[in-house]
Amino acid sequence: MVEERRILYEHLDVPDINTFDVFRQYDGYTRFEKAITEYQPDDIAKMVMDSGLKGRGGAGFSTGLKWSFVPRDIKPCYLCCNADESEPGTFSNRYVLEKNPHLLIEGILICCYAMGIETTYVYIRGEFTLGKKMLDAAIKEAYEKGYLGKDIRGTGLNIDIYTHPGAGAYICGEETGLIESLEGKRGQPRNKPPFPAVEGVFGKPTVVQNVETLCNLPFIVGNGVEWYTQMGPTYADTRANPPTPDPNTGTKLYCISGDVNEPGVYELDLGLTCSELIEVAGGLRGEEVKAVIPGGSSAPILTHYELDTRLDFTSLTLAKSMLGSGGIIVMNETRNIVDCLLNIMKFYAHESCGQCTPCRWGTPWVRDIVQRIADGDGRKSTMTRPKFGVAENGRWGDTGETEEIYEDLDLLESVANNIANVDTMTWNTICVFGIAVSWPAVSYLRKFRPEFEAAIREGKLVTLPVAEATVPPEENYAYQQRFIPKEFADL
Amino acid sequence: MSDELIQIETPFAFNEENQREFDALIGRYPVKEAAMLPTLHLAQRQAGYITPAVMKYVAEQLEVSVMKVKDVVTFYPMFFEEPVGEYVIRVCHTLPCALRDCKGVLDHLKTKLDTDVAAETNLAKGTTPDGKFTLMKVECLASCDVAPVIMVNDDLHKNLTPEKIDEIIDNL
Repeated sequence: MVEERRILYEHLDVPDINTFDVFRQYDGYTRFEKAITEYQPDDIAKMVMDSGLKGRGGAGFSTGLKWSFVPRDIKPCYLCCNADESEPGTFSNRYVLEKNPHLLIEGILICCYAMGIETTYVYIRGEFTLGKKMLDAAIKEAYEKGYLGKDIRGTGLNIDIYTHPGAGAYICGEETGLIESLEGKRGQPRNKPPFPAVEGVFGKPTVVQNVETLCNLPFIVGNGVEWYTQMGPTYADTRANPPTPDPNTGTKLYCISGDVNEPGVYELDLGLTCSELIEVAGGLRGEEVKAVIPGGSSAPILTHYELDTRLDFTSLTLAKSMLGSGGIIVMNETRNIVDCLLNIMKFYAHESCGQCTPCRWGTPWVRDIVQRIADGDGRKSTMTRPKFGVAENGRWGDTGETEEIYEDLDLLESVANNIANVDTMTWNTICVFGIAVSWPAVSYLRKFRPEFEAAIREGKLVTLPVAEATVPPEENYAYQQRFIPKEFADL
Repeated sequence: MSDELIQIETPFAFNEENQREFDALIGRYPVKEAAMLPTLHLAQRQAGYITPAVMKYVAEQLEVSVMKVKDVVTFYPMFFEEPVGEYVIRVCHTLPCALRDCKGVLDHLKTKLDTDVAAETNLAKGTTPDGKFTLMKVECLASCDVAPVIMVNDDLHKNLTPEKIDEIIDNL
């Protein structure tokens, strides 16, 4: 059985760790002191680059690379800490904010030192009232102890941290939406480029980082790059010749919820498999796994055939899904996939910011189609059509068989693919919200088509047994296309 | 231009404490407009909901047009443009909570409070006649491990059962 490795969460349950004095007893702020006494800012940036740390907020973009895009000659430069945790299934940042806010402050200090930043805004979602209260108290304490403010520890560094409350909009978790919202506007994402690293909040270079990413920094500085890279797999990126290392290093705060016996946050090395994680979380609640959402509700769903998929950035991308923010939702055999999709589509229809037409009109349309199917009014044609697929000669073409036409399922896939095309990975919207809608819609449909068809045929929601509800791997295009990466050391 | 079109019934101004907090807020940003969300939160806490008078006052304080304030208020679900009850009960109904029977929680609250669920544009629908409670559905509250959850004003309540809900409501 895989062991938990608590690093970010190590002292989470220590009583009063949210106070400066107790945090100090557990090496608090020593990593920051080490950074300012032993290293130059550029050394820190290089360490982060070498550590292979990938952004934990969702996109999984290399943090070191992101920092390298920030022009050093334009001042002021801002840091925005993204604590707008709203992806369904994700709840790890909440515990950091509520229980160990000084760790986040230390991470922010290290980032500010490395990038020469003087002002940080922590964008906390409006519902996190306790988290904001705890962080505000911790910031106040840090000012009093001389770790924030002017001339920190006599080094001449000036760093200020301010908290900024959101007001309940999911889209403000998108980095440019967050920036707009921080500027006091509607949280509608901006076109990229220019990227925030060049032109972000108030028109200045801005580093946007997730809470979890920043909390990794003290440990990278404190324990060194070598220690950090031992955790998690490093794959070979075979797109380059010769292959380059693709690190998935460090631990991840996996948030597991749904049908498991002990839902919660588990800190584990990246790269364990789906079934191992379910085991760590006390095992499945129910008889068998029907489906697993691996990275928050926007991630394409995994079937029980895919439980051997490793939960890290590279493996999940190659399995045509994503790790996202690490919110894993498990569903057992009693769950109806159409019903689950309806719930998720209601969420997206509600949260679309309304800026781009395909998303503004497409998301309610998708929701309405799924609602119609769930209500038993799904549309099916009385006619049949030739079935296309791999024909006898081994080529794509007419198989000689016929298939029934489920109009609503064709429509569902077509509308979703016109918000963002999941096959070509192109989206007709400004931000990636579009793909966050299409991904679940299309993947649920393609992987659990029998359950959708049954709902239309029977005129009501029918929960099929797992084996019948799931499209078998040989007919599942996404499953066929998946690719399991090789470890770099094995080459 | 839009300022004259807004009917102001009772003017609004920050009380002393909120004024102090607002003065501290405004210094944090290089432009005043950026203090919009925290200022609206402050104003809503004082006034109960965002009235036209509040919008006008906030616009004056931040030196932007009233229309810009209205623009922001209509975008964010946490700002109310209608009166709400003393206790706002937010019931999470996104997938992880749905897998743990949030519908039962909602139904129980509906019978207990004898009210419907508020619609986004009709908060009165979910408000009890005595003005004590407003019941509304919200999207993910980021506490999926302790689902189902509700928020009563600023407090989160976890792992709910009908008995727990009764206890929470009766203690208010």
